[in-house]
Amino acid sequence: MRRRVVITGMGAITPLGHSAKDMMDAQLAGVSGVGPISHFDARRFPTTFAAQVKEFDLARHISNPERWAHSGLNSRFAAAAAKQALTHAGLLDESRIDRTRFGVYLGSGEGVQDFHNMLWQLYRSYNPQTRHLDIPTFTRGALDCFHPGREAEQELHTTAGHLAAYYALEGPNFNCLTACAASSQAIGEATDMIRQGDADLMLAGGAHSMIHPFGVTGFNLLTALSTRREEPTRASRPFDLQRDGFVLGEGAGMVVLEELDHARRRGAEILAEMTGYGSTADAYRVTDSHEDGRGAIACIRGALADSELAREQIDYINAHGTSTKVNDSVETLAIKKVFGERAYQIPVSSSKSMLGHLIAAAGVVELITCVEVLHRGWVPPTINYETPDSECDLDYVPNTPRQHRVRHALSNSFGFGGQNISLIVSKFEG
Amino acid sequence: MARPIQLAVAAAQLALNHGKVDKKKLDPARFGVEFGAGLIASELPELADAAAVSVNGQKGVVDLVTWGDKGLPTIQPLWMLKYLPNMPACHISILHDAQGPNNSVTESDASSLLALGEAYRILQRNGADFFLVGGCESKINPLSMVRQVLFEQLSRRNESPEKACRPFDVHRDGMVLGEGAGVLVIEDFEHARQRGATILAEMVGFGAAFDRRLDGAGLARACEAALRRAGIGPDDLDHVSAHGLGTHKEDIWEAQGLSQVIGTQVPVIAVKGAIGNLGAASGAVELAFSVFGLQQGTMPATINHDRTDPACPISVHTGTPHRVNKPFALKVAYTHTGQCAAVVVRRWE
Repeated sequence: MRRRVVITGMGAITPLGHSAKDMMDAQLAGVSGVGPISHFDARRFPTTFAAQVKEFDLARHISNPERWAHSGLNSRFAAAAAKQALTHAGLLDESRIDRTRFGVYLGSGEGVQDFHNMLWQLYRSYNPQTRHLDIPTFTRGALDCFHPGREAEQELHTTAGHLAAYYALEGPNFNCLTACAASSQAIGEATDMIRQGDADLMLAGGAHSMIHPFGVTGFNLLTALSTRREEPTRASRPFDLQRDGFVLGEGAGMVVLEELDHARRRGAEILAEMTGYGSTADAYRVTDSHEDGRGAIACIRGALADSELAREQIDYINAHGTSTKVNDSVETLAIKKVFGERAYQIPVSSSKSMLGHLIAAAGVVELITCVEVLHRGWVPPTINYETPDSECDLDYVPNTPRQHRVRHALSNSFGFGGQNISLIVSKFEG
Repeated sequence: MARPIQLAVAAAQLALNHGKVDKKKLDPARFGVEFGAGLIASELPELADAAAVSVNGQKGVVDLVTWGDKGLPTIQPLWMLKYLPNMPACHISILHDAQGPNNSVTESDASSLLALGEAYRILQRNGADFFLVGGCESKINPLSMVRQVLFEQLSRRNESPEKACRPFDVHRDGMVLGEGAGVLVIEDFEHARQRGATILAEMVGFGAAFDRRLDGAGLARACEAALRRAGIGPDDLDHVSAHGLGTHKEDIWEAQGLSQVIGTQVPVIAVKGAIGNLGAASGAVELAFSVFGLQQGTMPATINHDRTDPACPISVHTGTPHRVNKPFALKVAYTHTGQCAAVVVRRWE
């Protein structure tokens, strides 16, 4: 029999609070985390709002934050969320476990490029009349003004490296960056690593912030973001007919995954069991999901097969639900294709209606939401749901939370570029 | 497509050609892509017009109001998608209809070996039959070069570039950037047999660990895990293909870590002396040297290695090509932060 994997710790830094509990309380209250962007002057961007993490100070979470002095928000959020998850699991300073069997698998985003200095150097080295860019001028200027520490912190392996070094997690160390699917993929693969015996414990999750000038510029150019500037808190409206794009969020989520017998032996509190993981690619377009939901369907079916559950046993779906035209209709189609008539009986909600889209970190905070649903017997709503879309005709738990007993929950994450991930998390029942 | 993605797409096609893969006979749902990738640097001209209108001459400050009004609209709409690190794997999946698991591991110089380890694990769990696994990187552009110079890792032997990358040599002074992509076709044995593939080597072991103190202990654990998985000891190794950056500090802890596992006698070869550091592509490309080496019976020697640093207790093979006399090779990679990966391959007979 394959090794079973359970969750024994969770941590979250999100636009709706600085812990898994606060985040869930806010979701059950139907609160929007969205507001005007204050990280930079976004007044004249097509999109002026986002779901920012409020009043975050790393020093309130760890005693020596100097290590992260040059880090981006991605790594700073990660450090705090990891501390919560490890503390929750009783493993922060636990010396009785073998820390070489404790690995890290993050789906963490990049740090932030030095927007102002980079463009300043471009300006100095470029003649717009002749369109000549003088590379020696650029490089000399950049060498003078770029900060080595801040440049190093942009690299994609640094977040996972910091957590391993700081929290003494000396097992296998991975980071994947598959856009919006990253932290779900990290959790799925970390689960498999424990199943196959590569580790007994994994810290898995992700952290990301793209609420910076380059990030908002990039998404605005793709016309992926909502531009409902006059009412930001109502902009993220998954499955609603009037949806016009997603709302950027930021934050981090971490879970401690543990082999079941290992958790039992040390008397850990078991929060939930990881029962299913599906992973596919659309192999269709860089920009859009396949219109028939090909990859999403295969992915959900893959997770069901992996869990050995019948499709009738899924009680709740936390949707990818981005509030873009294409995602929400394709995801609805895929759910109907997999679950048949029963799709209409399953509550499907989108946490992104309140949290915004945490990009690489989205999957993990949504999985944490599912674990909270298992415990509390309450399903969070999809807020801002006003006008039904004939292509989106499932039960999206509109606007108010619902009491609902859930034993098995499905969480979907679909990435730009076609990576699809589905996770199934179940109440632990021995 | 940005340059690293182009390199990846080309290497993937070369691997399919070399493997004589008839794509029509592959099951798309069982065809995965696992890639190692890094940050892809923005091409500067694409942002130059936006900079020209948005910087008002004040040092180091962009006027974000002007940027929003006039700068942003000068940039091409798909700008960001050109640089996302999952795009190499994504484009390859689209070109070859690979609908199976698709991941992009972003662990700096250890990326493609970790991606290979993951593909190996997915094959073990029966999550796919067939993978294109590899990595790609190009840091030879102004923005990436500036950053590498700031990290103070690069050799400055500008008068004799071909001699600059000197792994484990007492006169090494830093790494040399390379660029490229490497792609390996990895498949389940039965799948390979049924399609009549020419098998080049068998992957028999993988290990990963974190070297927290940067003293080689984590690298040693990754190597031990890979050897244990392969069911062999260090005496069975024909050679070790080192990471061998050619930087002062890293070469010492790598050699110390390796010597804890393989002792001081197993021949160590560092391919980077000849090709530089291909970053996220380095593991896959350097492993290809060992696969060919085991198959053909000779392996290129480490170049630019005249005298081993006494702080590096290993036997670096130099001079004439290495004559293969044992069936197994160990390939390692790591990051300067401490992520380590090790792979064992066996000559196919």
